[in-house]
Amino acid sequence: MKPFMNYYLNNPSHQGRTWLLMPMLLAVCLCSTVANATTSDDEYQIHGFASQAYISTTDNNFFGETSANDNFGFTELGLNALVRPTPNFHIAGQVLLRRAGESDDGKIRLDYGLADYTFISNPTKRLGMRAGRLLNPLGFYNETRDVALTRPSILLPQSIYFDRARDLALSSDGIQVYGEHRGPHNEIFWQLGVANPRVDNPEIELALLADLPGRLESDTSYLGRLLWERDGGRLRVSLSAIQANIKYASSGQPLPFDLSSGTIVFEPTVLSIQYNTEYWSLTSEYALRHFDYKDFGPGLADMNFTGESYYVQGSYRFASKWDTFLRYDAAYTDKEDRNGSDYEVATGKPAHKRFAKDWTVGVGWMATPKILLRGEVHVIDGTAWLPALDNLQPTKQYWNMLNLSLSYRF
Amino acid sequence: MITRSQTTLLYDGFRHSAMCIKMALLRLLAALLLVTTWNSNTYAQNDEIVLVVNPQIQERMISQSTVRTIFGMRLHKWKEYNIKVFVLPDDDPVHNSFSKQILGMFPHQLRWAWDRQVFSGTGRAPIVVKNEDEMRQSIASTPGAIGYLRRSQVDETVHELLLK
Repeated sequence: MKPFMNYYLNNPSHQGRTWLLMPMLLAVCLCSTVANATTSDDEYQIHGFASQAYISTTDNNFFGETSANDNFGFTELGLNALVRPTPNFHIAGQVLLRRAGESDDGKIRLDYGLADYTFISNPTKRLGMRAGRLLNPLGFYNETRDVALTRPSILLPQSIYFDRARDLALSSDGIQVYGEHRGPHNEIFWQLGVANPRVDNPEIELALLADLPGRLESDTSYLGRLLWERDGGRLRVSLSAIQANIKYASSGQPLPFDLSSGTIVFEPTVLSIQYNTEYWSLTSEYALRHFDYKDFGPGLADMNFTGESYYVQGSYRFASKWDTFLRYDAAYTDKEDRNGSDYEVATGKPAHKRFAKDWTVGVGWMATPKILLRGEVHVIDGTAWLPALDNLQPTKQYWNMLNLSLSYRF
Repeated sequence: MITRSQTTLLYDGFRHSAMCIKMALLRLLAALLLVTTWNSNTYAQNDEIVLVVNPQIQERMISQSTVRTIFGMRLHKWKEYNIKVFVLPDDDPVHNSFSKQILGMFPHQLRWAWDRQVFSGTGRAPIVVKNEDEMRQSIASTPGAIGYLRRSQVDETVHELLLK
């Protein structure tokens, strides 16, 4: 693992990408002007977002050396377009520039790019199909996780929406069938997909395995979500699951340089519940993440374990443009070893790397319908979801974080 | 050289000014809260909100669930018409009343539903107009247009659509 980090930190291609920020920001502003000028034509639409956060930590680092004076390491800029030649067909794509400390260097990537055809569309049902690079429907927030204005807080609950292996969680290449069934009070939405996960990325290799000379290859994977909404979304309940199948192709070198070729099955399942009133929203999500490692040879015994995460959040819109929230968010890397003691005995590494319990309180001000300011304080016990590349030094179990952000969307 | 007692003094001074800043911030926050709460609802509540469509649309009645689906941007064709949806800005009090009275939804839910589609490539956002004059003109001049107005703002250039 260590040599990989050294490589990462010393490799010039991972540094200095910030020069892309300004042109991208300019593009977002330009498109914003163009889009405003053409909003009366809805055959195509252009939208975008930009967000900059200030992050300060008492100990440990989150998206930059935030315990020192590097506080502006979290930037998100995105631009999307949708073209609809006929009422039941459209194509759409979104590019994203994301800086997040050492683990995301601001390279531009395609988040999604798809063609969508609706076979049936009437007031009581809809049935359609999408193909291309598609966002994974996982939980309430995965599909819009990069858009600050869609998040209930500056950072999504990290127990479920953590950033290690983010591209793998975000989208995959394949096809999805979707449907909607509408009654006077109840609506059912469903999506089923077959896809190849995005694993062609050293960060994902590091998150799932270690720095090894072989490479990860995606295998046919399956995903689905069922969502029930009552009274226009007053009550929302969803169950989503993914089975991501990943192969490791060994370089053929013997131990200790490489493992044999093996397989990893990653199965996250998320149950999500939300209740909305005019002033209150209560949201909770519970996730199980099952990992199964097989056939890696004598260097890595077959193993499987299940991680567990949940959060409960209450939001209160106390004035017309203001909201405040309180959240408790807990993550356990292995639910059979919640306090990490077995892990500490087995590896000699600190137990607190295997859990994280985060109390967050925050406030948001929607200055205009397009501009949002947020502030939040986290009080955290544990480091399970700390970005590894920001924390090469020993970590502390108890730490606090103050975040501020300015976000724009059009 | 700074002695130990001097550093204690310095530290106390720092603590005092930190306290002052904290108090000032709290007062500012309290003031902001009061101002925004008072400003939240500033138009006459007794002026009913009605659904309006382009006069080309012959239908006179629509169900609430269909209106929700149309304004949720999930139904692009209603009867034989290609629908174009117009809304006022999120923070407009008329938009707020429309969401609650006509759709039976809260504006924050509507915004979230649009954002989910717009930022996942699965759908579009409605067309936002600045005010009710622009709403009326857009509806009158756009085939398939649907929107809403206070009853006092409706004239013969647009047709009212009744909820079933």
